[in-house]
Amino acid sequence: MLLGKSLVEISKLIENRYISNKEVIDYFLKRINKYNSKINAYLTINADYKFDNLYKSILPIAVKDNFCTQGIKTTAASKVLENFIPPYESTVTKRLLDASFFILGKTNMDAWAHGSSTETSDFGPTKNPWDFLRSPGGSSGGSAAVVSSYLAPAAIGSETAGSIRQPAAWSGVIGLKPTYGRVSRYGLIAMASSLDCPGPLTLTTEDAAFILKIIAGKDKFDATSSNDRVPDYVSNLKNKKKFIIGVTDEYLNGINDDFRSAFYQLVNILEKMGHKIKKINLLSPKYSISVYTIIQRAEVCSNLARYDGIRYGNNRSFFGSEAKRRIMLGTYVLSYGYYDSYYKKAQKVRTLIIEDFKRVFKEVDMILAPTTPIASLKLGEFEKYPFFGEMMDVLNEPAAIAGICAISFPFGLTKKDNLPIGLQLMGRWFEEENILNLTFQIEKETDFLGVIKKGVNNYPD
Amino acid sequence: MKKKRLSKNDILHLAYLAGLNLDKKEIEKYKKQLEETISYIENLNELKTDNVFPTAYVAFLNNIFFSDNEKNERGLTLEEVFQNTKIKENNCFRVKKIFDE
Repeated sequence: MLLGKSLVEISKLIENRYISNKEVIDYFLKRINKYNSKINAYLTINADYKFDNLYKSILPIAVKDNFCTQGIKTTAASKVLENFIPPYESTVTKRLLDASFFILGKTNMDAWAHGSSTETSDFGPTKNPWDFLRSPGGSSGGSAAVVSSYLAPAAIGSETAGSIRQPAAWSGVIGLKPTYGRVSRYGLIAMASSLDCPGPLTLTTEDAAFILKIIAGKDKFDATSSNDRVPDYVSNLKNKKKFIIGVTDEYLNGINDDFRSAFYQLVNILEKMGHKIKKINLLSPKYSISVYTIIQRAEVCSNLARYDGIRYGNNRSFFGSEAKRRIMLGTYVLSYGYYDSYYKKAQKVRTLIIEDFKRVFKEVDMILAPTTPIASLKLGEFEKYPFFGEMMDVLNEPAAIAGICAISFPFGLTKKDNLPIGLQLMGRWFEEENILNLTFQIEKETDFLGVIKKGVNNYPD
Repeated sequence: MKKKRLSKNDILHLAYLAGLNLDKKEIEKYKKQLEETISYIENLNELKTDNVFPTAYVAFLNNIFFSDNEKNERGLTLEEVFQNTKIKENNCFRVKKIFDE
């Protein structure tokens, strides 16, 4: 009865007394018990609950292990924090708890969110629920995998550049990266502070809108959170708006053929639905790789400087290989004599990328592109290249650097391997309601070509 | 793509600044990987940025200050402050000494 039900549907079932909240939580804990050892998506499972009113809508959700959860171990998938119990609650999880959510568990990720495959986790990689030999993507790979295999109806992830969209694409679910500042970062273990964005991974567009409404908005504990009004994202879905959608060859270079066909298939469908497609030109995303690599490494080396093992956690000898590599490069680009030629140069090109999007968003409402150049890779492929993740995230980095919002959704499977294909919509700053609106229209029109349902049905009760 | 070279001493100096101990194998590995990455990011020099203002943040914000008598809701109790430390002494964190006697 529950398999594949969205958060909003589960909420209605509880409120109409078809099922109690205890039965819902037990249902997911049972599924976790059955499948988690195969997928390795949860690092910590929270079976500790007691609800007085059985028909109060209490909704289960999984949370990436880099959000501080008071009293629940939070490791960022690093041995440095293997025993860390946060003494305070992150704003995202606080808002979810206040809205009567129950945290089922903390999900696996690349250690410190450094990576695009979940393989840099110090607690073993998460397996892609579509193929255990492959990566679910990352860094929010555990969050994507639990939603795809229905070990949670929805999950919270965080994105610095691709870490929500790319695993959502590779695992065949929806992933929303909000505008920078839309959602508070308070209590999110910092990776790159000028880029980090918390956001939801879900089975339906409505659930993404539902969660965003809860977690978005000004937070007095995060000075970079925005005062911008939080619209009712859910009710805004119902009104079918018409949009002008930009497409650009720059985002189709070197793209796998199945992705290219899926992209053009959707372009045709959108035109038939009455939307306008417009060709645009954008800066090559190859520059975004460099800007992102420099800025992110610089911020990583500053943020990880606090881990000295004195107040909490283990000392710096516990850092894994990827964290050390990033700290080293960050130290280099910030060091005396190199600051101007790398860090400052990257900040200037960041301005160019922002202006480039501003120019394009005068002509179009949003941009459609593939989320990744290829489908999920086999575990072990990433190790071979020092910044392969950045290359895989090439189509995610420009939006992250500019801080605009974007959403990835599945659109078909690859012919040979039957792996999910992800496409994305990138919208203007603080226009989540528009990209959600169009994704909802696409969902109603195409059901994402059945990908999400197929993924869930691979994991029967 | 011209290859940027780093010396072993460059790597050791970076590790020292970053508070990391690297073994011999790691020094070689990071030297190679850092050279590759630095060579790639040189592509930014293809873009002219002479009169461009650098962007540090995209949130378009001003500084925010707390007033003096504002209650600090984020304060932790002593118990909470020390709950994750390994070595404490009389409600202080114990650290390695940094001065010679």
